[in-house]
Amino acid sequence: MRASMASISTQQFQSVSLRPSTCISKHGICLNVLEFRSELRLSSRYLKWSRRKTERNFSVGANSSPVNSDDDKRVEDEVVKMERNIVDSENPFGRLRGSITSLPPVVFVMKRHIGTNFAVGMCIAIAFLIIAVREYVARKSRYNRPGSVADLVKRGQLRSDRRGISSPLKYDDPFNNPLVKVGKSNSTIEMCGKVYRLAPVTLTEEQQSIHQKRRSRAYQWKRPTMFIKEGDSIPQDVDPDTVRWIPANHPFATTVSDIDEDLAQNNVYQKHGVPFRIKAEHEALQRKLEALQSVLLEIQRLHTPVTISSSI
Amino acid sequence: MISLQLLTSSPNPSSLHTSSPNVFISPQPLNRKTLKPSKPYYKNKPYTTIQSVLQWNRKPQLAGETPRVVVITSGKGGVGKTTTTANVGLSLARLDFSVVAIDADVGLRNLDLLLGLENRVNYTAVEVLNGDCRLDQALVRDKRWSNFELLCISKPRSKLPLGFGGKALIWLVDALKSRQEGCPDFILIDCPAGIDAGFITAITPANEAVIVTTPDITSLRDADRVTGLLECDGIKDIKMIVNRVRTDLIRGEDMMSVLDIQEMLGLPLLGVIPEDAEVIRSTNRGYPLVLNKPPTLAGLAFEQAAWRLVEQDSMKAVMLEEEPKKRGFFSFFGG
Ligand SMILES: Nc1ncnc2c1ncn2[C@@H]1O[C@H](COP(=O)(O)OP(=O)(O)O)[C@@H](O)[C@H]1O
Ligand SMILES: [Mg+2]
Repeated sequence: MRASMASISTQQFQSVSLRPSTCISKHGICLNVLEFRSELRLSSRYLKWSRRKTERNFSVGANSSPVNSDDDKRVEDEVVKMERNIVDSENPFGRLRGSITSLPPVVFVMKRHIGTNFAVGMCIAIAFLIIAVREYVARKSRYNRPGSVADLVKRGQLRSDRRGISSPLKYDDPFNNPLVKVGKSNSTIEMCGKVYRLAPVTLTEEQQSIHQKRRSRAYQWKRPTMFIKEGDSIPQDVDPDTVRWIPANHPFATTVSDIDEDLAQNNVYQKHGVPFRIKAEHEALQRKLEALQSVLLEIQRLHTPVTISSSI
Repeated sequence: MISLQLLTSSPNPSSLHTSSPNVFISPQPLNRKTLKPSKPYYKNKPYTTIQSVLQWNRKPQLAGETPRVVVITSGKGGVGKTTTTANVGLSLARLDFSVVAIDADVGLRNLDLLLGLENRVNYTAVEVLNGDCRLDQALVRDKRWSNFELLCISKPRSKLPLGFGGKALIWLVDALKSRQEGCPDFILIDCPAGIDAGFITAITPANEAVIVTTPDITSLRDADRVTGLLECDGIKDIKMIVNRVRTDLIRGEDMMSVLDIQEMLGLPLLGVIPEDAEVIRSTNRGYPLVLNKPPTLAGLAFEQAAWRLVEQDSMKAVMLEEEPKKRGFFSFFGG
């Protein structure tokens, strides 16, 4: 059951990646494949893990029944190792790839060559080392591109200490832009090194006014100028179209405000000095202190200084 | 009704414009109704109307009265309003104009993140209204371009008191006008998605609007609706930016071309921004795209849009596709 499931997923994976033959024959393609793989590996550790697991399971399914050996597990391990070794010897890309995946056809070919070898272990170790270095390099280069996730880390939006940090940009002179050139015929334009064909805009004043008329027929609207609490009725001599009700649970708006309009306006216009609320709070505190002080003085008159100091 | 109009105005969208430039010069019977007025005009002087040119060697001339209060809106969410605000805003700052960007996206504020200023926002407009701080304390000055300032409307988890409606924003703009350093040249307002209370608040002080849309029918319908509402509100100067354009899809007729979109909405073009993976990288960095070196296509497109915004200009030509050597798949925008 598990083996069959695994084989399905192996095959699915095969359909995603390319066949080994193309990989060996064409280096260009091969590079792409590797790139793609490393993407996969980086983007989801789970996938990588499950892939390894499935390929292993598959070889169990393929081998155990015909060979009928006692130590199935050992055989299966050897198969995986050997086939990796073979692929390794073909070329550096194949070596990398082989250490990541094993493909069923190779498994069957390899069955004949079962045997232990120290070199096999060495090759696998080297392959893993290369993978690790590659991954490290890829990760490094990924995180020092400007505008990458690293910048979110730098800005404190994302928490991670392992990410790199990029250098800031310098600015161009906005009045000297060599990247935009207009062609001689005025019907082409060159931008960022590419030449584009231009087409004139045909919108005319008449068309614009036609659209305006269409819209003025379609949408009749008065901008609401009054916001009242849900449930409140419209005040006298106010155009109902200009009223909006704001429910108490509105996500970002409220009609509740603890200051009146004139005060708010004055606050906006204030240019210098202590802001109104701060000042008000300060004054309130001052009054409280004064009140306290006068009470204390009162007490002082009635009692001895000793009791005052202890009461403070 | 809306959808019908949108659909009938261009029955076969992508086939109209992508095939050959001749289409623009000799209108086809399909869209005879809308294109008729332009017919004699283009017959008289074909191609001389193309002005692709941004003169990089000069500073763009500021048109209109300052402060130019521009709301950047779209109806639909996630089409690139915040990206546009950040990039156009910093482009304007680079061009030597003083800019205040207001993040009016009260529910889902993230302009500060795009600009990399999130750690410096201590006070917002709500605190100013409450008298917890002065306006100048709530303005966050960008260290890269000191003529760029950010003002957030509210803290992400707090609520915006709407008791005085959009008046609060009008006061803010007034206060900015009369401040000591002088009135800012541009006040850009990043509007929230939808046409709810947040939208209403954001558009209140604006006297011009930039509609951001993507080349798909859902965002176009929302853009049309929002344009209608803005027109009802008396905002006359409305231009659009088409974002996330992919010419490979346009060429395959899987995506509407920019000119198709223009035909459906009837709005002048401020810019056409290609789909660009750099956008997300620049979001990660908190460094708007326009500051990238070397510049990317999307960065150049934002810069040109900013340039046109300054001069109250619109695009006279769009980039269709790459000339002879057919290498890449990108092609669009122009000037
Ligand atoms: N030209 C573009 N190319 C690629 N991605 C884009 C582009 N413009 C916007 N985006 C992406 O779209 C998403 C939404 O953009 P945002 O500006 O936050 O939209 P809005 O403010 O309208 O909700 C962001 O993740 C952004 O990276
Ligand atoms: Mg946004």
